[in-house]
Amino acid sequence: MIQRIIVTFIFICGIIYPQIEPIKDLHSNPPRVWALTHGMVHTEPGKFLKNATIIIRDGKIASVGRYIKIPMDAYEIDLEEAHVYPGFIESWFEVKKSSSHEKSRNHWSSKIRSEYQVVDDFKPDEKILNNLHSLGFTTAHIVPDAGIFRGQSAVVNLTQNPVSLNPSVSQIMNFEYAGWESKEYPHSLLGVIALMRQTFYDARWYQEAIGKLAKYPEENEPIKLNAALEVLAQSMGQTDPFTFMTRDEHYSLRGLKILKEFNLKPWLLGNGFEYRRLKEISSVKPFIIHPLNFPEKPKVLDPNRALQYSTEQLKHWDMAPDNIFALVEEGIHVAFSSHGLKKKQDFRKNLQNIMDRGLHEDIALASLTTIPAEKMGLEKSIGRIAQGMMGNLVIVDGDYFDPKSRVFSLWIGGDEHKIAPRFLPNFKGKWNVSIGNKVYTLELKKPKPGGKKGSKPSAGKLGGTLSLENLSEKLTQIDIFESEISFSINGSPFGFDGFLTFKGSLEKDHITGSLIDASGKDFDWNGIRIEMKPPKPRTKKKASVLALAYPEGAYGFTSKPHQPNAILINDATIWTSGPKGILEEWDILFEDGKVKKIAPDIRVPKGSATLIDGLGRHVTPGLIDAHSHSAASSINEGAQNVTAEVRIQDVLDGDDISIFRELAGGLTTANILHGSANPIGGQNAVIKLRWGKAPDGLLFKQAPQGIKFALGENVKQANWPGSRYPQTRMGVEQVMRDAFLSAKSYKVRKANYDKNSRLQRIKIPPRYDLELEALVEILDGDRLVHCHSYRQDEIMMLIEVAEDFGFTIATFQHVLEGYKVAEKIKAHGAGASTFTDWWAYKFEVYDAIPYNGALMTKNGVNVSFNSDSDELARRMNLEATKAVKYGNLSEVEALKLVTINPAQQLQIDEWVGSLEEGKDADFVVWDGPPLSVFSTCLETWVDGTLYYSQALAKKMEERDQTLRTDLIQKILSTPSTSSGKSIFPNAEHHRDHVGCDISDEYRFLEIAQ
Amino acid sequence: MKRFLTLIFIVSNLFGNDQIPGTIQRRPILLKGGILHTVSGDVLKGYDLLFANGKIVRVEKEILPSPETEVFDIYDLHVSPGFIAPVSQLGLVEIGQVKQSRDFAEIGDINPNVRANVSYNPDSEIIPVTRSNGILMANVNPASGRISGQSSLMMLDGWTWEDATLMHPTALHLNWPNMRIRKGKTPKDTEKKQREKIQKEVQALDDFIREAKAYDKRTSVKLINAEEKQIVDIRLASMKPYIRGTKPFFIHANEVRQMEAAIRWGNKHQLDIVIVGGRDSWRMTDMLVHYNIPVILQSVLTTPMRRFEPIHRPYETPKLLAENGVRFCIAPKTGYPHNGNIRNLPYEAAMAVRHGLDMEDGLRAITLSAAEILGVEEKVGSLDNGKDATFFLSDGNPLDITSTVVKAFIQGREVDLGDRHKSLYEKYKEKYRQLGKIEQ
Repeated sequence: MIQRIIVTFIFICGIIYPQIEPIKDLHSNPPRVWALTHGMVHTEPGKFLKNATIIIRDGKIASVGRYIKIPMDAYEIDLEEAHVYPGFIESWFEVKKSSSHEKSRNHWSSKIRSEYQVVDDFKPDEKILNNLHSLGFTTAHIVPDAGIFRGQSAVVNLTQNPVSLNPSVSQIMNFEYAGWESKEYPHSLLGVIALMRQTFYDARWYQEAIGKLAKYPEENEPIKLNAALEVLAQSMGQTDPFTFMTRDEHYSLRGLKILKEFNLKPWLLGNGFEYRRLKEISSVKPFIIHPLNFPEKPKVLDPNRALQYSTEQLKHWDMAPDNIFALVEEGIHVAFSSHGLKKKQDFRKNLQNIMDRGLHEDIALASLTTIPAEKMGLEKSIGRIAQGMMGNLVIVDGDYFDPKSRVFSLWIGGDEHKIAPRFLPNFKGKWNVSIGNKVYTLELKKPKPGGKKGSKPSAGKLGGTLSLENLSEKLTQIDIFESEISFSINGSPFGFDGFLTFKGSLEKDHITGSLIDASGKDFDWNGIRIEMKPPKPRTKKKASVLALAYPEGAYGFTSKPHQPNAILINDATIWTSGPKGILEEWDILFEDGKVKKIAPDIRVPKGSATLIDGLGRHVTPGLIDAHSHSAASSINEGAQNVTAEVRIQDVLDGDDISIFRELAGGLTTANILHGSANPIGGQNAVIKLRWGKAPDGLLFKQAPQGIKFALGENVKQANWPGSRYPQTRMGVEQVMRDAFLSAKSYKVRKANYDKNSRLQRIKIPPRYDLELEALVEILDGDRLVHCHSYRQDEIMMLIEVAEDFGFTIATFQHVLEGYKVAEKIKAHGAGASTFTDWWAYKFEVYDAIPYNGALMTKNGVNVSFNSDSDELARRMNLEATKAVKYGNLSEVEALKLVTINPAQQLQIDEWVGSLEEGKDADFVVWDGPPLSVFSTCLETWVDGTLYYSQALAKKMEERDQTLRTDLIQKILSTPSTSSGKSIFPNAEHHRDHVGCDISDEYRFLEIAQ
Repeated sequence: MKRFLTLIFIVSNLFGNDQIPGTIQRRPILLKGGILHTVSGDVLKGYDLLFANGKIVRVEKEILPSPETEVFDIYDLHVSPGFIAPVSQLGLVEIGQVKQSRDFAEIGDINPNVRANVSYNPDSEIIPVTRSNGILMANVNPASGRISGQSSLMMLDGWTWEDATLMHPTALHLNWPNMRIRKGKTPKDTEKKQREKIQKEVQALDDFIREAKAYDKRTSVKLINAEEKQIVDIRLASMKPYIRGTKPFFIHANEVRQMEAAIRWGNKHQLDIVIVGGRDSWRMTDMLVHYNIPVILQSVLTTPMRRFEPIHRPYETPKLLAENGVRFCIAPKTGYPHNGNIRNLPYEAAMAVRHGLDMEDGLRAITLSAAEILGVEEKVGSLDNGKDATFFLSDGNPLDITSTVVKAFIQGREVDLGDRHKSLYEKYKEKYRQLGKIEQ
């Protein structure tokens, strides 16, 4: 890194002064030695020199200080007490890719363009430069604008012919996907993350392969050159930062998780939501580039329209401007950007806003200068005003952090760029006007609004009066341009001849000029300012006083959920779902998150346990849903027929309100599955419904890994347009066999390589393949297969394929014709997780019957009932009841369909699924028999923690209602501001029946630029 | 109890065969000592019910049978009026994903002229499955575009759609325009544009009503010119009963803005309107009561509209409507993939009961209230003298999941309670008997 900086620096000096390009006309050698005097110089955050001088020589700062002798060859520029800051760094500026770089030249995926250098395409036009300059930016961190691996960012000086200070700062990565309609892989967030991981593995492998090839060309077949991977491997080796663009705190965590896996230096483009998962984000201390862009005011004027906004959005409007301060408090380094602002001038207003709310000026300055300079490896050339630094300065007519002051000049690379006049001509106020020996009073002011309908007083449109003792005359016309003023007035009351025409020019507080009367006679006049209007006092913005909730939105915990050391339930009817069956008026004791004891009568020392009176109540194990799509931000990666590499654990969303609603129905564990768009789908995640936890906190740690398969209409794209292989059930089988054959050969190839040291020395190693790794785990029996299936033929096909390859299917999911081949399923040893009564929605489910579960049970198959729906998952107990209705299972057997049976299918029955001593304290208290439609869930506990109770929900509901009302009041009482980040209301993202068939992306529609 | 019943009734469940429509009632039947959910009045325990010629004759404590009357002791069995699904596509679609089997969505936006019953397939396999749980009538409605067409109330038994039609038309179905302001698809799709679009859509409805009224006027006067008489507009002609207010508009709307606008629109044109959907109805009970607008609530077993709403709000909505005096009935979910599960309608009512609605009000919400809103309360919906003998017997509370429907009658005709599911069940039980895997 250091080496490169030095190289870069020499390079810079090279192009700034001695020109490489041929001279077009004559040599241009303007003087390059300047002395800026009488400046209020902020040399670096926390350091301030009053009345100081800066000497600039040949593009660099030669010296700075209070008592500096001005060199003989320097030209002095008097700053007249203007404030001087080191040139600011715009830390995120996206550059549109020129068409010649549209496609990656090297990688199979058009979205992997890591070799692309954005600096090649940066040709700023004047408007862009003016915008950036007016905010004080002399330098920018420029980034590419498209792709998953977008390419390398750079730091440049912001001049017409930009000078590159560091052509390769960071690889920019974005979770970019086109959605369900797109044919190109990946079309989902799931796929993007898998592709990112695979590409990192590929880069490592590529580097090794190239090395082997160079060393042993006679032993290896040449591989195709791939600049994308080569560049990536270099960056990975050099500990270069990798920057993830993020849309909300979930994306921050996802990005950080990937970087952690490959031990890479984490940078993030911030999103403003980081405060919601501050602890998790700050644990790795990423560098965050934070756009100073806050949400616009939600449109709540119409109460019915207000309903479209989730409380979380209203709250975010209040809290978002505190995010940066919260990050800084955690010790995270933050740099600022004007990225995404609709109006550039909002940058400084927003900066003032966050400083009002607590951010210290020194940190604000550091975030514009030293922090990004250091992070981008340029701390020796930019970011401070000191000897040897580049001549990058911002000159402001006042304090930069007061948005009313103006940046009037920038120095970039030792050359001045004038932005605005040093003094803004301001004629407003009272003047003593001397004409001859008389002194008149001239008052110039904006006319009061509301005179003419629809006419707004605009800048420059001043009116005024001229008066002498009791005499007063209105100016009839007035014209102001820059510092020139002319006006006319009836001169007769003052003893002149007819109308007078004044002309004058302003310099600071003096106007000098001449006037002509009707006869053409002219006089000199001059004006001296006697009174200036004081600026209005400003009320400072205040930080939000709201407490964080986990999660935000509704029903979040503001403090830790209740987790007593012990819980004792007395005299309850206990449905154990275990060997003890139903125990009436028994006691059950939970301790340290486990079932401690079940007995007719248990006594504990007073106060040592939370007591629950169980009389008349029923206690069951927490219910388990073996097929759910709740709590996931992405469900299907269907662009390829095999996507074993994608993982639901990468896209978990602990904020999904479904979790809380499902807890309220007694659910405690769910198997979150990939959709059914392709024969071999992604890896599932078994979660516990630990409401309020960050995504990783939901994972059921001990649960074995698994994967989703699918058969039939969905995978052959029968119900929507598609032309991907396969289009028949015949093809589905071939995809399965093909996948496992290639997995077998991969396994052998890897094993051979791993045990042969000669091969390891001279041969290119087998490429590490996430997809095949997962398939090999299936072959090895280490990964459970959960297969979406309907018809008997396809069920038997998969059994045959699995047996040919020597593994067992863990569960057939849905398995609606399982009742036709129950004995085959039993013989194979698979479980069956079925819907209760769905049928007739597509052709392959025309023979589905609600007796399916009972018939399979009677054939000895382990059967569970699943929801595949956020709605059904709230009442799995009533789904179980249908097994009593259709097929006469006993109530005990029926309850097992949603407790111990799914636990066995997911191989987590060692911990959950029944109330037995030593198992997890996951249980539900019901106000009546759990299978009755007239009973309801009173309390739901997970790991001995109370995540839901009717009383708790009621309290949260009232609290949230008050919060909502207060927030709407606050929004209504806040004066209108026209700009801000657009918010798209998200309260009504209604998910009801969500099955495997749904496409991707529902949660993140709400926030966009 | 079931065994007892099969002893006294003629066994008519022909498992393994297709279901055969019931024969016309030839002799009076007296059911003795049942638990009668009259719905219009109290639950009568140990009462007798006499029906003849397809009509209920009497409900009394003790009825003495005439000699030709068949008498059955139904002690401990519940008798309830047949449940009514007030909206559905039953018979209009067999398999949602198979285009060939879909007949509920005509092309175009304005289809007031199409009528549902002519494409009702009386041999749909879904019908017997549905009536197996006590749903003996279903209002079937077209569902597409802005004005979808006219619905028909069908009895779930009959050889042809003509046999099965209890009333046609029941209502004209209108999908109210979406009134939400959303994120524009393109930057040009601004808030202003969206508001203008909504306004235009409502304006189009106003214009259509005006056109229909003008047409009505023109065709109601005696025309001199015989040629002019021949000029017919089939769409406008079909609007007559609806613009005259003799038949209702069923306006499908869930969100509060839609419902408010629909009610104002109905008032403006003096139309008889009913809200279908009504998920937000609990937010505007005052307005619904003030204008006496009934709601067909669809549905109870659903998730809240918005994240911040009480998690059980859909379950509680019927109670809130009842408490505040809104007329309502409960409808099953419709559309893909719900058509096969209209049979779960009683459990919708049960959930409402669990969350505060009175038990008998729960029953009313899927019987008499539905009949009232559909305008057939004179014929069906309760166990009252003179009404159709359309009811069923169950071995437990009719709303309970574990209860089984053991007998059902539609206008006195005994309904075959076999269905595709029971047939397949029997078929595969036989397979496992042959394999020796199960006993009986």
